[in-house]
Amino acid sequence: MTDAKPAKLAIRGLSKSFRKGDTTIEALRNLSLNIEAGEFIAIVGASGCGKTTMLRLVDGLTEPTAGTILVDGKPLENPGKQLAFVFQQDGLLPWRTVLTNAVFGPELQRRDMAQSISVAQRFLRLVGLKQFPRHYPHELSGGMRQRVNIARALTVGADILLMDEPFAALDAQTREIMQAELLRIWSETRKTMLLVTHQIDEAVFLADRVLIFTTRPGRLKDEVRIDLPRPRDLSVKRTPAFTRYTDYIWRAIEEEVRHSIEAELEQA
Amino acid sequence: MAQDDTSSLKARIAAPGAGWKWPQVKPSFWQGLASFIIAAVLWEIVARVVVKNPLFFTSLVDVVERGIALWQSGELQTHIWTSFVEFAGGYLLAAVLGILGGIGMAASKTARGFFDPWMSMLYSTPILALGPLFILWLGIGMTSKIAVIFMVAVFPILINTLVGLTTTDRLLLDVGRSLGATPHQLYLKVRIPAALPYIIAGLRLSVARALVGVVVAELFGARAGLGFLILQSAQSFDTAAMFVGVVILAAAGVGSVALLKLVERKMAPWRFENVDD
Repeated sequence: MTDAKPAKLAIRGLSKSFRKGDTTIEALRNLSLNIEAGEFIAIVGASGCGKTTMLRLVDGLTEPTAGTILVDGKPLENPGKQLAFVFQQDGLLPWRTVLTNAVFGPELQRRDMAQSISVAQRFLRLVGLKQFPRHYPHELSGGMRQRVNIARALTVGADILLMDEPFAALDAQTREIMQAELLRIWSETRKTMLLVTHQIDEAVFLADRVLIFTTRPGRLKDEVRIDLPRPRDLSVKRTPAFTRYTDYIWRAIEEEVRHSIEAELEQA
Repeated sequence: MAQDDTSSLKARIAAPGAGWKWPQVKPSFWQGLASFIIAAVLWEIVARVVVKNPLFFTSLVDVVERGIALWQSGELQTHIWTSFVEFAGGYLLAAVLGILGGIGMAASKTARGFFDPWMSMLYSTPILALGPLFILWLGIGMTSKIAVIFMVAVFPILINTLVGLTTTDRLLLDVGRSLGATPHQLYLKVRIPAALPYIIAGLRLSVARALVGVVVAELFGARAGLGFLILQSAQSFDTAAMFVGVVILAAAGVGSVALLKLVERKMAPWRFENVDD
């Protein structure tokens, strides 16, 4: 990798403070990181470490107090087109069918609909929902809805996918399956992935690099490169190397988790 | 429940467009029908055996006969038509202005600040008590009735529209913003569709209030209408004719509420997924 080529996604000095009554809460302090094209990054940290805030800042859903976001070396101009967000809850519009939900992004951006619909159909096939275009979200299971959520983000056509604990609302077995599915989708689309999760094993299983955040204010505490061979399947979770990574990350995070629990107890 | 969902899904995939089937009649329908029949029989027994004086109570058969006689004289049609025009005028006005007002108040914080106290006050005031005042101002004709019906029917629609538009799920708004929606698109494609079930529920609540409005407004002074029929028959001890008016109003109420419930189900099926069966 040469220095001349700018990172796919670069975050520079990103900070965010909220005002809550009389006090100011610092959610994120001076975060900088580079993510290369096609890289899979996972962010772990205790609750309230600002990881969801960071994703929202990158996607332009929340205004940062300071900092800039660069895509391909240029300031982010149109988050709707350049980035796609996969929400923790599926966030499907209940009055729209699977297909019209999937194509919602291009519709809002007034793109050519005939072409966008065929793009959406392609991604619905990729997430395994080809037979359900006319179904409504309430007719689908939680796992199926989350697949539509992912297809909707892919249909935007952005190179970068931001995922906020996308499988947290699913049961444990479905979650495992969805992790493997996500790797397959990633290997077929070569998107740049930035995933926030609570699950250490999910982070190690999916990512090239795992970033560990400190508790409030969120800062980068440690970074672990995961050198497990690809393509990975779920059996990799039972290898000693996998356990070494999860143990290392858990030890790094444990102290932070204790701090955050103590802070919560003090507030109560 | 969840298993039923998937099996019906599979059925739909296996047999796409399997043809139209008769809507399944639920057991609760038959129970309701049976209870109506039992009530009718009891009514007849009470009228023939217990309260024999037709001044106080009258047999169902007499009510039907009286209804047919009123219809043949053309009098009943006049009453129904008068009440219908008053109802339709007041209710449609309430629907249009209620929805537009709700949209306006949802869009502007200033408008909310100005009108919210009035809305709360008028909603909790028994506006029907102002009926005589409306008659005084607008006369004994239809206009005063339309005004009364409008006043009682507008607030549930206005409030539901406002609540529906201002309580949109934050997640859905975030989804729209993340996908690049302009504020205008967020309104049109997220807020309004999300508010529709609330608006229809408001329309349904208002139907019952508007029907009460019809009757009460006519009681205060009218020349025709079902409320007028009820008042006039009661005063001339024509109990059967009074019940004709009551039964027609009850049927209109049940019918219109059932119709709006059907519309609600068609437009927002996701809100009813755990309600049936």
